[in-house]
Amino acid sequence: METLALAAPYVPELIVLGAALLVFLCDVLGLRRTEWVGGIAVSGSALALLAVLADLGTAGLGVFRTLPASSVDAAPTAALTAYTSLGLIFAAIFLIAALLVALASTSRPSEERGAPIFFGLLLLATLGMLLATIAADLIFLLLAIEVTSISTYVMVGYTRRGSRSLEAAMKFYIVGALSSTLAFFGASLVFGAFGTTNLYAIRAVLATGSIGYPVLALLGFGFIIAGLAFKTTLVPFHAWAVDVYDGAPSEVSAFLAGASKKLGLFAIFLVFVGPVLFVATGGGSLFPGGSLDLGPVLRLVFAIVAVGTMTFGNVLALLQKEMKRMLAYSSISQAGYLLLGIAIGTAPGLAGATLQAFAHVFMKTGAFLVVAAAAAVGIGPLIDDWRGVGSRRPLLAVAFAVLLLSLAGVPLTVGFVSKFVLFSAAVQAQGLYVWLAVAGLLNSALSVFYYGRVLKVIYFDPAAPAATPAGAVVGGSDAPPLPAGGIGYGRAAAIGITAIVVVALGIDPQPVLGAIQSAATHFLATGA
Amino acid sequence: MWPWISITLLSVVAGTALTFVSGRYARWTALATAIVFLGEVGLLFYAFSGWSTSGGILGGFAETETHAWIHVSWLSINYSVGIDGISLVLVLLTAILQIATVVYSWAESNRPAAYFGLVGLTCVGSFGVFVALDVLLFFLFWEAVLIPMFFLIGVWGGPRRRYAALKFFIYTHVASVVMLVALLATAFYGQAGSGTTSLDFTAIAQAANSHLTAVAQTFLFVAMLFGFGVKFPIVPFHTWLPDAHVEAPTGGSVLLAGLLLKLGGYGLIRWAVEILPQGFAHARPLVLLIALLSIAWGSIVSLAQRDMKRLVAFSSINHMGIVLLAIAVNSSLGLMAAVLLMFAHGIVSALLFMTAGSFHHTFGTRDLASVGGITPTTPALSTMIMAGSLASLGLPALISFPAEFAALLATWAAFGYWVFLPLGILVVTAAFYLWMMQRVLFGPPRDVPATAHDVPWYEGVGMGILVGLAVLFGILPGLLVNVIANSPVKGFPGP
Repeated sequence: METLALAAPYVPELIVLGAALLVFLCDVLGLRRTEWVGGIAVSGSALALLAVLADLGTAGLGVFRTLPASSVDAAPTAALTAYTSLGLIFAAIFLIAALLVALASTSRPSEERGAPIFFGLLLLATLGMLLATIAADLIFLLLAIEVTSISTYVMVGYTRRGSRSLEAAMKFYIVGALSSTLAFFGASLVFGAFGTTNLYAIRAVLATGSIGYPVLALLGFGFIIAGLAFKTTLVPFHAWAVDVYDGAPSEVSAFLAGASKKLGLFAIFLVFVGPVLFVATGGGSLFPGGSLDLGPVLRLVFAIVAVGTMTFGNVLALLQKEMKRMLAYSSISQAGYLLLGIAIGTAPGLAGATLQAFAHVFMKTGAFLVVAAAAAVGIGPLIDDWRGVGSRRPLLAVAFAVLLLSLAGVPLTVGFVSKFVLFSAAVQAQGLYVWLAVAGLLNSALSVFYYGRVLKVIYFDPAAPAATPAGAVVGGSDAPPLPAGGIGYGRAAAIGITAIVVVALGIDPQPVLGAIQSAATHFLATGA
Repeated sequence: MWPWISITLLSVVAGTALTFVSGRYARWTALATAIVFLGEVGLLFYAFSGWSTSGGILGGFAETETHAWIHVSWLSINYSVGIDGISLVLVLLTAILQIATVVYSWAESNRPAAYFGLVGLTCVGSFGVFVALDVLLFFLFWEAVLIPMFFLIGVWGGPRRRYAALKFFIYTHVASVVMLVALLATAFYGQAGSGTTSLDFTAIAQAANSHLTAVAQTFLFVAMLFGFGVKFPIVPFHTWLPDAHVEAPTGGSVLLAGLLLKLGGYGLIRWAVEILPQGFAHARPLVLLIALLSIAWGSIVSLAQRDMKRLVAFSSINHMGIVLLAIAVNSSLGLMAAVLLMFAHGIVSALLFMTAGSFHHTFGTRDLASVGGITPTTPALSTMIMAGSLASLGLPALISFPAEFAALLATWAAFGYWVFLPLGILVVTAAFYLWMMQRVLFGPPRDVPATAHDVPWYEGVGMGILVGLAVLFGILPGLLVNVIANSPVKGFPGP
């Protein structure tokens, strides 16, 4: 019993790990139909999601609780792990992404090489993310991120079809390894400066206002920012993202954009939000009394990177001809909005960024899944290949339109609400943050153009004279064509869910926003 | 009590959604939606407590409805709608223009379902803007107008439609960004002390009046003046208007001139003048200057136009300048005149754009100088052009007259002999119009193509509705004035 009690808090992680092992077992036993192994992955992530939602205190799910309510948002300890409600919300975000991608991937052809492996890797990557959400220690956090990273490197190239996908995997691996190195090096410097790698202990030291080696701390945090910025695709560490999203199978791109990016964001939350950014150790001077005032420096860096990222992503997205590359650049620009919340740094800002992350899971995962579905029904990789889809495949087109409108922040979608909350938070912070709201709003105006162009192509341009033959290849890769199938039930269900959620939360965001707001408030309060 | 505002909104939304999917029968769906909408607006009128001195026929009619929407620790957003006299008159205008536009465009053959659906969506958005009493809701509808109009211009427009649609979108969207930030700043700075910021109109207005300094109010007012002014449009941010009007299809022009410009005027009155009275007081010289500039620039440039649509577009700038002038007077007479003038301009400019569209269909050109003496060939069209022009230049017994008269009277009361500045400009413009009428409509026929035919029935009916209303409200402006003047809920500042 004691062992069981010890294991209870880790039930979501154990469920995901168990499902992953089961998938690999099925592969060895020769049970390779995607419906079966996919079913394991779907039910595994669904069960874990249920436990996480119960731990968040969702009404009606009390029986699934794995944590006593008192241990969530508890006072910090010196342990490796800690449960915060914000962490649980991010766990839910990651599990939703995994669930959607697994559900959609049940429609991938079973004959494809390594199909079961894909689901196993998906679950392992999710496991790493779940571990990151409970991290209380810098090294634990970075190791958890490594678990995810290594799984995703393989996922990008697992089909081994075509050089473009392999090139993407290789690029992802090299850049990812470099970013991990930077982050770990930064962690070692931080250890040197603070004598501990426990995040709460570091916060406690910072809160006192006297750091032994301020320059060392700044360098360490700088390296960590660089390492995490790679994961979050922040400019100027974004260059890998487009090639990888473009070269990977669309389901993998959906997972990378939907979940991996948020992992970097959450890690930035965990390391930097709180006293690191907000305790002024002295007056207005950068070096008050010989010690460095980190807060203003880091906030300015985050603000500049946020605006730079969203502008850069949006401008380049305007110029793209291929659908997946356009979505990849738009995904980069979305990372800028997420970071905006950190630069604002208040509880409302944090809540806005988290809501934006939550919304983005549905919007961007859904959009990439639509691209996957489009490939399965013979729609080419270029934006112009979508001509006439509005009348040929009305349901797919409507779902895509809803997702794109949400990405553009059009009213009555969750994208609108999340941006509205985020920009309200910026204005609420007053002072120069109002200009962050202006920059963000102008950027979302810019983004309307490239999303609008896709809608125009889908609904208004005349259909191409010779439609691309069914079974054509996606992503511009030179791989041999897959056998043409339909959209498939799994994919249709996943896309349908995303589109419906996007509209439903756009009309009534209160349940999600309420939970996120209280989580963000707690997050800033504990350990401060 | 029944939530009539929400019911109306819901019925128009549902009708518009149906229109989008009803294919060949879209025009019937659209017409039915518009008629139901007008009926419901009639009911709102009937029940409005400002309508009669007895305080409303349906006693206790709910003029505001509020439901909690998004509530977190620092932000409270409600679904909150309400109607007072100002909104009610403009909502009536929305319903009238929807019917007139649908009838006028009866034979639209290019993707009719999408066309009528977008027309409906524009009207939904306008209705929402006129009734919304919460920043989020207001902005939601404000943006919801932009998108259908962008598509109406960009898909059904003339040869330079893409350029015009893009220019329209960029100008108005940048302006709405500034507007939103200004509104949010007013809300958050005004309620900075309290833990929760409400985005509700009343809460914002109260907090802004008691907490914001005059300097902050002035700054915010100028930001809103820009935000709302681009839609107005005010000189020098007006250049999107002629392009958008010339390239838009006739139905698009009608809604653009009839409704979209009113959104700017309404927004300025409701969200800037009412919320930031001190800022308004300080910024009045600027508003006045811009108003006079718009009046002068609109008139002078319209004198040089040969293209009928451009002519009407620039005269719109001129008329909206008078609206701004009436607002700048800052008296209850002036505000009443501004609202009445917006209604009048909505009817008259819509009529003129319809005649311009019909002129184009009939003669294959909008160049006024290319034909002359068209009355014998196209008597109905000529009548409409005549009626529209006379209404536009303010002939008594037509709707513009009481509105312009009230506006000039208010200007006289506030600024004395300065009133001759706008008045002089109006007289010159009127003379020019009459001279142009004489050349184009009367006299010996010149260069009239043999194929010219009079307007088809639906265009005639569409224009006829507007002419009838121009006469009705011209003779009985009291029908509207009473409503505007009795705005008990979100009323005018005192005289």
